[in-house]
Amino acid sequence: MKLSSVAKLGGTAALVALVLAGCGSGSSSSQSGKKQELNWVESANLPTMDVSKMTDIVSSRMVNSTNEGLLRLAANNKVVPGVAKSYKVSKDGKTWTFNLRNEKWSNGKPVTAKDFVYSWQRTVSPKTASQYAYIFGNIENATKINSGKMAASKLGAEAKDDHTLVVHLIKPQTFFKYMVAQSYFMPQLESQVKKSGSKYGTTSSNMVYNGPFKMTGWNGTNDSWKLVPNKNYWNKKAIKLSKVNVQVVKDPSTMLNQYQSNKLDFITLNGTQVKEYKNNKEYKVNKEASNFYLEMNQKKHPEFKNKDIRKAFALAIDKSQLANKVQADGSVAPTGFVPTDMQKYKGQDFADAAKVKSGVDYDLAQAKKLFAKGMKAEGKKTLSLDLLSDDTDKAKKSTEFIQSQLEKLPGVKINNQNLPFKTRLARSADGNFDLVVSGWIADYPDASNFLDLMTSNNPQNNGEWKNAKYDALVKKAEGADANNEGARWNDMVQAEKILMNEQGVIPLYQTGVSTLTKSNVKGIQFFPTSPEYDFTKASK
Amino acid sequence: MVKYLGKRIFYIVLTLFIVTTVTFFLMKFMPGTPLTNQAKLTPEQIHQIYKQYGLDKPLWYQYLAYLGGALHGNFGTSFQFSDQPVSYLIGTRIGPSLQLGAQAMVLGTIIGIIIGAVGAVKKDTWVDTTATIVSILGISIPSFVLAVLLQYYLGLKLKMFPIADWQGFAYTVLPTLALAAAPLAETARFMRTEMVDVLSSDYIELAKAKGLNKMGIIYHHALRNSLIPIVTIIGPLAVNIMTGSMVVENIFSIPGIGEQFVKSVLTNDYPTIMGLTIMYSFMLCVVILITDILYGVIDPRIRINK
Repeated sequence: MKLSSVAKLGGTAALVALVLAGCGSGSSSSQSGKKQELNWVESANLPTMDVSKMTDIVSSRMVNSTNEGLLRLAANNKVVPGVAKSYKVSKDGKTWTFNLRNEKWSNGKPVTAKDFVYSWQRTVSPKTASQYAYIFGNIENATKINSGKMAASKLGAEAKDDHTLVVHLIKPQTFFKYMVAQSYFMPQLESQVKKSGSKYGTTSSNMVYNGPFKMTGWNGTNDSWKLVPNKNYWNKKAIKLSKVNVQVVKDPSTMLNQYQSNKLDFITLNGTQVKEYKNNKEYKVNKEASNFYLEMNQKKHPEFKNKDIRKAFALAIDKSQLANKVQADGSVAPTGFVPTDMQKYKGQDFADAAKVKSGVDYDLAQAKKLFAKGMKAEGKKTLSLDLLSDDTDKAKKSTEFIQSQLEKLPGVKINNQNLPFKTRLARSADGNFDLVVSGWIADYPDASNFLDLMTSNNPQNNGEWKNAKYDALVKKAEGADANNEGARWNDMVQAEKILMNEQGVIPLYQTGVSTLTKSNVKGIQFFPTSPEYDFTKASK
Repeated sequence: MVKYLGKRIFYIVLTLFIVTTVTFFLMKFMPGTPLTNQAKLTPEQIHQIYKQYGLDKPLWYQYLAYLGGALHGNFGTSFQFSDQPVSYLIGTRIGPSLQLGAQAMVLGTIIGIIIGAVGAVKKDTWVDTTATIVSILGISIPSFVLAVLLQYYLGLKLKMFPIADWQGFAYTVLPTLALAAAPLAETARFMRTEMVDVLSSDYIELAKAKGLNKMGIIYHHALRNSLIPIVTIIGPLAVNIMTGSMVVENIFSIPGIGEQFVKSVLTNDYPTIMGLTIMYSFMLCVVILITDILYGVIDPRIRINK
């Protein structure tokens, strides 16, 4: 029989290989570098194009590139007209009326106010099981509908006619204009949702689009697809790109290699790569509306009710070293609990207005003093604590650093616990930790996104720090002062100052993303909140 | 033979059932939820969403529901890829992993067998030393290091092959080479050891005494008998490599299944964990069965007569 059995085995394998070769990506091997073709990268898969079901940044970015909301996010914390030509807010701030323009979906059907009402109703309907339904919480009846106590048709958003959308809010919300510019508030065409059924949002061919681009070549699980201009987009004149090639690349060094060989026009860098490219003219850091912070479990360790001990912990950690030397990926030292560059009022940044030096400073001598005082008051000599955090390389590096910093306080022993993200979340929620490194990213650019977290009864307040005055200010900002931008701003600034003076939480760093963009690519916009990048008006 | 096969298939079904059951319950004991936006949801909201997915039901009920679905070919929908049926997710992403795995196995084992055989025949010469060094390097250099080196030198610097992506055969060359190193080294090592043994056995001496030429002896007698241990290692190695390497797939941006398994566990994507575990176990069972049958084909002494 000679080698026939081996030959058979090899033959079968070769046959399998041949057959499978046909399964490879069907995209034509287009050569990049042609004019007005942007080569965009994503570092994660695209999970869905369903506006009601997305939770991640890639989906949000793709939905934002292919759809248009009532308003559209623009640079410098602005919103510009989208499907809505204009809008009016009632005196009490609770009724928003949007005046819609004539526009068509990519399949030729008109875009109407009903498409917005339908989309929002679909998201809050419990049947959809949307994980972002809470973001509609301030629209009348949204929460009741979501918990199954009311029909979706009762949602406080009505189409007066095809071109008039009226939204009824429970409380005035000055930042509602940012909300309607978010991907989550984009319209959906009911007939298309019905037509695609369970396949809606799962492939590019099951969708219709009303935004700058149409998506092609996404089969729901593959790693590359294209965006082509949507002829029916109302503002198509502003679109200069003829095509966007999107490629998922998960490995940072591959990303850099692809960038260097001109296969990608834009990439993000990791900490090691930043060192090399810091002084490159294509290098830029984008600060996200996202903070990492240390929570101290007061329930498990009553000594954290002592302000001196909390303060000592905060002062013992050198945040700028943590951001610049340990993370070294574009992250910056925090100026407070609310990130910088997120919200401005009368030209002033919230983080600057509310800055409390002692809340984010590094002063080991003072820390030791306060710690000794606090420990004496609590009648304790030593503190042995577990420090809970994620198990990524980045998280491990920071916990090691925080451990070494905190152990400089005499009598403190820190034991690092690096666990998978979901386990960390579960433990935080159960109060099963001593110290935890938590992270938060704002859904919309408003300080309340962060300040709400530390109110007494917020489920995200894992450390259970409580302060009645703080609660009252946050409540006032969303209640009595909700319709008065200046008063509301002052409430929130005061609240943040209390939080930092009391050190209810220890801000560690604000996340920044280091990027490289080819010098011939112009007009990619960055926002500190989702979808972060808008390349629809870019040009080459 | 039929009776033997029947028995083996029964064991495969039993194995799959046990694997399914154990995985299901272990998986449910993992902390956290499968919800991708878990960090921002309150317990009430999580409960509300759980209701829609039937995750609020008792564990035994969920287990039976899953088994019932799986028997009808319904493996549920993924959480990572919202609403995508798990069977579709696996179906669309396993192709590249299988292709790369198959190419790497074929390349690796064939070269491995040749290197091993040559090393054994030319025992204790510089040829043998070189072969040994190659196999030691192959085993000790992790595939991802090799992948990075190949990508940097052959892809970026020399521009011989694409750096990454998945658009045709040229795109498979570097990942195949990176993945082939391990099976190459492994087969070469086993082949050499076994071949050295076989070459010093009595029947080879007899063949030599009969005056057969050297190539004939090696080809007809020695090679075939040396293949038995290779068959043993090839099976599991093939499953291992064909189910995708997360790291190598990530480095070359291959739209494969490798990462999904790891990610599904990290994100508590229950239906995907189950679907992939069942598929992997099934593949492993089948490969072991094929290996056992192949033994008989290669070596009549192991053949089952009943």
